[in-house]
Amino acid sequence: MAAGDFYFALNATFRFIHDRWGEDALVNYWESLAREYHAPLSQRSREGGLPAVADYWRDYFAHEPGGEVTVEATDEAVVVEVKDCPAIRWLREGGREIMPLYCRHCHHTASVIASNADLSFQLQGGGGTCRQTFRPDRSAVRNPKSQIQNPKCGGVAVA
Amino acid sequence: MIGVQDFIGYYDWTFEYLRRTYGEEAVREYWGTCIAFDSQRHAVKLICEKGFEGMEEYWGHTLAMEEAGYAATRSEDCYRIDMHECPSKGFLLQHGLEAYHDYCEHCLGWIKPVMDQAGFVIDHVHNHRGQCVWEMRRAGAERAASPEVSAEDDVTRATNWNEGDHHEYRNSTKLK
Repeated sequence: MAAGDFYFALNATFRFIHDRWGEDALVNYWESLAREYHAPLSQRSREGGLPAVADYWRDYFAHEPGGEVTVEATDEAVVVEVKDCPAIRWLREGGREIMPLYCRHCHHTASVIASNADLSFQLQGGGGTCRQTFRPDRSAVRNPKSQIQNPKCGGVAVA
Repeated sequence: MIGVQDFIGYYDWTFEYLRRTYGEEAVREYWGTCIAFDSQRHAVKLICEKGFEGMEEYWGHTLAMEEAGYAATRSEDCYRIDMHECPSKGFLLQHGLEAYHDYCEHCLGWIKPVMDQAGFVIDHVHNHRGQCVWEMRRAGAERAASPEVSAEDDVTRATNWNEGDHHEYRNSTKLK
């Protein structure tokens, strides 16, 4: 099982880039990360299609510390149902102030990963509960911001 | 989702992203402010409030969580860590990742500012092969002897310690 305290570093890193250089810089960081670091994942998803996408995220969430996530695959889509996000849970239980845009990293990174795999990505929800949907590119909408609904985590300080 | 199971890969990539986008100074600022006093605020609190006991508590927790191969030794005036298998550098070596030119520097990058604030100085050597040694002492006090360390625990006696490129610090100042 991975070291959950690394969520503290992710949360702090997003805040640092946002506070130092602004929201566009943070989005650029997320998109660059997805384009470069996750290039192998995009390739794997492009080659393996939706079954590969489902396998990856099922295995990924199985190895994160805590949380409750299900991954359902059909011929039309892969739906990642995050009932209890492991990151948000860890940050809340650790008493950390969650960076208000924290949840948007999923949207921006997964949108680029999906786009480079000829898929579209949609995120609904946030704040510890969300639904993430990958579909073949024929239904893709290229403007990422039009695909996100209720993107903020609430930004609440939790004791 | 950016999770924690492959965090080290993102972390290394982030150092290089900051360097190429904003310059080397931004990487130092990232380690010395964001990581030291935001991400690792729990370490700051423990070490500032409890000194050596806080170091034992912090590294005992975090290195166990990261499943590191290490030995920690403490005397009254010195806390020492012998890192035999760094899980962080080990992840990068295992996966052939090296985005940033000197990943190992990040530890000093955040630990030194914390120790400065808490009133401790650091002796440290790392070999860029996942092995390093740390000794923390109170700043301004007469230099205390190193704690007794068994030959098995002493990473500097490991057969492969001399491999790699060694960076060395004494009293929190880089020697080479």
